[in-house]
Amino acid sequence: MFGIGFVLSLALSIFALGAFGVAVRRDPLVMFICIEMMFNAANLALVGLSRYLGLVQGHALVFIVVAVAAAEVAVGLGIIIAIFRTEKDVNVDHLSELRG
Amino acid sequence: MGLNDALFAVFALGALCSALAVVLTRNTVHVALHFVGHLLCLAALYSLLDAPLLGVLQVMVYAGAVMVLFLFAVMILDMREQEREPLFSSRGQAFGGLVLAGLLLALLGAALGHDRLASALAPAADPALPSVGADNIPRVARLLFREGALVFEAVGVLLLTAVVAVMVMAKRKLEN
Repeated sequence: MFGIGFVLSLALSIFALGAFGVAVRRDPLVMFICIEMMFNAANLALVGLSRYLGLVQGHALVFIVVAVAAAEVAVGLGIIIAIFRTEKDVNVDHLSELRG
Repeated sequence: MGLNDALFAVFALGALCSALAVVLTRNTVHVALHFVGHLLCLAALYSLLDAPLLGVLQVMVYAGAVMVLFLFAVMILDMREQEREPLFSSRGQAFGGLVLAGLLLALLGAALGHDRLASALAPAADPALPSVGADNIPRVARLLFREGALVFEAVGVLLLTAVVAVMVMAKRKLEN
């Protein structure tokens, strides 16, 4: 049986990959997906800890995190599309101000 | 090694490979589809970790609703020009990202190897401990709707706020 260490290492690797993606990619949608990946890595760690410590608190927390992430996606994509409508360019290296 | 262990290994590998594909694929639509695969692997892992409710939630909310929203955004944004640019805008940036990811891995790995965390996780290594059990949904519901009822309501308010915020942003564009 895979232990808690394996699950935590997997979550940790996915989190680091997400951080790498956010740092390296210049396309805001891909950066956003990488942020979601980091959320999911944290969720995986919570589920794993709940499983091996015999708690359900982690499950409730993951439930909340998924709802917050959904709200974040809605607002974030709205902002990205609003920027695209005024700038016609969504490379984050070229965007230097948030004022329309 | 039982069937569950084999499935766990397969889906863990799938989650890791699709995460790599998300970071290294250039086409934004392909990135979104790789991410759907990643989410499905994670949903399977949740189910194997005795959290079937979260597995189903992951498929419906993330792989369903959120990714459809992403694909809509990809269609609206029309990324064709972006795809001609190199994947990493500079060698220094890729190096910086690697250093960041390496530092994160080292930091979290050191935390994982720390004595205090190891002792806190010690009961988890004890096979005699009863696991949370696959029939934990009533317990989660009790926690969410009794002790955590206030948090649950706050999440509802947050979702409402997000909906109103998105509508305001969309409306201002129409007036212009």
